[in-house]
Amino acid sequence: MQESVPLNYYLILSAIFFVMGAVGVLTRRNAIIIFMSIEMMLNAVNLTFVSFSSYNSDPAGQMFVFFVMAVAAAEAAIGLAIVLALYRNQQTVYVDKVNLMKW
Amino acid sequence: MQGSIGFPILTWITFLPILGMLIVWLIPSGKDEETKKRSNMLIRWTSVGITFIQLILAVIIFLNYNNGMTGVNQQSGFQFIEKFTWIKASLPLIGNIHIEYFMGIDGISAPMVLLTAIICFVAVFPSFGIEKAVKGYFAMYLLLDTGMMGVFNSLDFFLFYVFWELMLLPMYFLIGIWGGPRKEYAAIKFFIYTLVGSVFMLLVMIGLYLSVGSFNMLDMMNPANFASDSIFGGFNTSIRYVAFIALFIGFAIKVPSVPFHTWLPDAHVEAPTPISVILAGVLLKMGTYGMLRIAFPIFPDAVGYFQGLIAWIGMISIVYGAFCALGQFKIGKRDLKKLIAYSSVSHMGYVMLGMASMRPEGIVGAIFQMFNHGIITAMLFMIVGVLYDRAHTRGLDEFGGMANKMPVYTGIMTIAFFAAIGLPGMSGFISEAMVFLGAFNTYPMLTMVSGLGIILGAAYMLWALQKVFFGQIPERWQGPWDPTGKKYKHDDINGRELTALIPLAVIVIFLGIMPNPIIDMMSASVNHFVEFMRPFVKIGGHLSGM
Amino acid sequence: MLGLDQFIAELNKSISMFLPETALVIAFLVALLLDLMFKKSKNLTGYTALIGFLVTGYFLFKQMNMQSTAFSNMFVIDQFGIFMKWVILLSSIGVVLISFFTNELYEKAKGVGEYFTLIIGMAFGMFLLVGSSNLIIIYLAIETMSLSSYVLAGYTKEVKRASEASLKYVIFGAVSSGIMIYGISILFGLTGSLNLFEINRFLAANPVNNFALFLSVIMILSGFGYKISAVPFHFWTPDVYEGAPVPITAYLSVASKAAGFAILLRFFKVTFLDSVPGNDSVWTLLGSIDWHFVIAILAVLSMTLGNLVALWQTNVKRILAYSSIAHAGYMLMAVSTMDDAGVASVLIYFFMYMVMNLGAFYVVALIANNIGSEEIDDYNGLGYRAPILGICMTLFLISLTGLPPTAGFIGKLYVFSAVVKAGYIWLAVVGVINSVISLFYYVKIFRNMYLNDVDSNKSKLTYSPASIVLLFVFAIPTLYLGIFFNDIVKWASYSANIFMGK
Repeated sequence: MQESVPLNYYLILSAIFFVMGAVGVLTRRNAIIIFMSIEMMLNAVNLTFVSFSSYNSDPAGQMFVFFVMAVAAAEAAIGLAIVLALYRNQQTVYVDKVNLMKW
Repeated sequence: MQGSIGFPILTWITFLPILGMLIVWLIPSGKDEETKKRSNMLIRWTSVGITFIQLILAVIIFLNYNNGMTGVNQQSGFQFIEKFTWIKASLPLIGNIHIEYFMGIDGISAPMVLLTAIICFVAVFPSFGIEKAVKGYFAMYLLLDTGMMGVFNSLDFFLFYVFWELMLLPMYFLIGIWGGPRKEYAAIKFFIYTLVGSVFMLLVMIGLYLSVGSFNMLDMMNPANFASDSIFGGFNTSIRYVAFIALFIGFAIKVPSVPFHTWLPDAHVEAPTPISVILAGVLLKMGTYGMLRIAFPIFPDAVGYFQGLIAWIGMISIVYGAFCALGQFKIGKRDLKKLIAYSSVSHMGYVMLGMASMRPEGIVGAIFQMFNHGIITAMLFMIVGVLYDRAHTRGLDEFGGMANKMPVYTGIMTIAFFAAIGLPGMSGFISEAMVFLGAFNTYPMLTMVSGLGIILGAAYMLWALQKVFFGQIPERWQGPWDPTGKKYKHDDINGRELTALIPLAVIVIFLGIMPNPIIDMMSASVNHFVEFMRPFVKIGGHLSGM
Repeated sequence: MLGLDQFIAELNKSISMFLPETALVIAFLVALLLDLMFKKSKNLTGYTALIGFLVTGYFLFKQMNMQSTAFSNMFVIDQFGIFMKWVILLSSIGVVLISFFTNELYEKAKGVGEYFTLIIGMAFGMFLLVGSSNLIIIYLAIETMSLSSYVLAGYTKEVKRASEASLKYVIFGAVSSGIMIYGISILFGLTGSLNLFEINRFLAANPVNNFALFLSVIMILSGFGYKISAVPFHFWTPDVYEGAPVPITAYLSVASKAAGFAILLRFFKVTFLDSVPGNDSVWTLLGSIDWHFVIAILAVLSMTLGNLVALWQTNVKRILAYSSIAHAGYMLMAVSTMDDAGVASVLIYFFMYMVMNLGAFYVVALIANNIGSEEIDDYNGLGYRAPILGICMTLFLISLTGLPPTAGFIGKLYVFSAVVKAGYIWLAVVGVINSVISLFYYVKIFRNMYLNDVDSNKSKLTYSPASIVLLFVFAIPTLYLGIFFNDIVKWASYSANIFMGK
């Protein structure tokens, strides 16, 4: 029987993914890439859930993953529709160009 | 039976102006010039009527008032009591709540109620000069009236607080819309200053409520009602001192005592004449009244601790206010209205000094001084208003020789100025003398320094009198005020203005000769008050009662 | 495990308790269909929404005293939730009515059919969120309301600011919900459960790594904080409030915030309350982390930043946006006490806040109908051009400031007394100083309306009698609740009861 990969490895990997996603959101200016980064964050969360779920042998975590995936899809659909509407109004998808309102 | 007349007179006297406000509201504003004029006159006379009824109610109270009853911290000593449960619920999770609609007057508040009714009535007349948005003006005026009356009548802290804050908004608009050139600044300054004071009052009120379990002021005055483990339980704790300071500052801003006085000159200078009259005549008294009614009897231990400080603040206000008033003779800032505003700071200092003395004559003097100062300053501001309406300036050195041009006016003005100086035979003399008598026993040194205020007061008042009324008439005022004769037929003061001023002059002289009607009203309550405070405070001299 | 019979019985019971939410779902579907079938009719879905809300109200009324769980502890019905649901429901009705009188919606968007449909959807999400006691449901409910609100925020497609607002909203929203579920996943890993009651039991019995717990809860808080727009999760608020159509701004500032506060309170109480037999009104918290202090810091930040930044704003909607951040701070102050008096005061505050805030936004909408602007300089002299609007706006604004005798004062009174009672006097002092600061910018609005441009000869504003009736629907309670608040306080105190699963 093979030695299984320790839980920590999964957690660290997903934490790295999550941070990469977060950094992407903060630094990228293209709205589409921001949405991709958000997807990455969500997938990092999924990884955590799955690993905890298998570690605890509790299927609830995997169930959560399905919901997250479904919601992520919906969110992407709405997000892209909004980007489209924005593009029609302001002819740009770069968030730093979208600055009618500032504090 | 004296002391109550089987008629909720305090409710009527308080809420009548709100009723008047609704009536004013419903008067249709006209379409063209002619109907507009008629509707404006109707609005003005409605306000006169409402405030006149209020004055009559105040006189009824005065006539039915029982001088022997005490009040202060005993419910049985109050008169014209109206007490109903307003909010009552027993709530297991967040604690019970009990708020009462509790009104009543004693010797501390009765003179103030009378004063408010008088001032609100006479100040309607100078309001006739307001031409801009007349309906809004009188609606706000009457709302302000309700707020002030309510403050003096309520014996439930919550109710008191509601009325206290109720005045803020009308006052803001009255200064802000109908005021002078820097009205916005003056209005917001007034608003912010008062609100800063009152939010801390709110916190203290909440703390008291949590300690006592009721908003009833009389319950709060009884140390036995404080739960021993509550915030304000016990005596001489630092939290009680802090709470007293918070309340004191809240009231001192209204008085205003140095160093919280800086809003006053601005507000006075910018406010229209009738609002200056109300501000000086009634609003300032709410500060000192609040101390006597709430801050002192609820935190007597803290009064004992800070008594000297209060006397010092009184003394500083007297002297500093007088110097600031004298400062108006400096070249470049000569404003007659500002002079009177600073003289108010000085005169309210006497009230503080009298209260700090904690002797019956001192406190009676203080309350009497509140009353007198209300009447006298109202006169002074109205007089300045008369001149300003005609000349459109208040510069001290722009006038001269007015005595020849306006002899009747000069006569009235001389009475007011002499009363403000404290000349014997005028009401101001009696109250100031009593304050000094009381204060000298407890704080002889401070009182002696405060005497300087009287000398300075005489100096600036006489100086102003001389500048404006005697000497040469300047070139520009040689002709009549109003060559067209439309607005002012004669150069002298007109009938409407005299209607407002003469009753005040009569009161000033009458009380100067016969102060007893007012003093008798308060002496029983004040004696009781002093007895109540006695274990906690320093009282100089030999106390024999009045 | 449950047997089949038991399972069916449980399901039956659950569905009977899920009727208000079911009514909303049915209303949603009906509105969707009607919108497809009758494209032409203008407000049909709006009326459907109103009827749906009334039916929901009926079922909610029948649940008044219920306290139970449904769907195997996933959903809770308790007095606390029902109070919040009433706030949400009433504000939903108010928002639909306000929408009828908002010209912007009819002029700058292609039809309002989906608009009202999405409002029902959002209301459903909030209802679900208020009652959820399982982290999955919490996540799904938050997403249901968020997804609807992203679209609603940008509904007026022809307005440039609206699409910008919508984009900012969706990005911030997605990120914060991502952070939230990351926190949820850590909490799941720590405790091995997604059910709040079980997490509570686990935490009571077993020690966990404090740092991991703290991290996960802070991350979860970012999701809730985003909904209640508490600093530092507030960045979207001003932009979205400014860009979105006025009724949606009002909706986000009241209902969405109510749902956020409901779940925040429920999450904290259910998860971290150590059950002390006999004394339920004082919460003893599990673990060694000082949650009081964490929330108090959030409260101070929200109040102070919201109020200070509002001072520099020139757009009325934006001012109200910052003011809503500040109000979140006042309410968080009461949350930080973590006792039942605090919960009750949040409920009272919310009810008052609902009335006055909807009213203020409604006036903004009516004015925008006429002058087409929300800039504060365009408000000059409006008090004379529209006397009723001016007076009502002044009333709402002094109520938001918290001056008596208005509803807002009663809200503040209770919040401050809860804070003083719990002994956080420093917090109360910060709170009252903040309410003085807030006066500056509220005054700015009615100063422009009354003090500037007094003798303006511009035309009077026009508004229909029906719109004035609706205005009084907000104005009268604002005054009335400031004077007679007995019943509301009683109800809130009764509702401060959060079901603990036992």
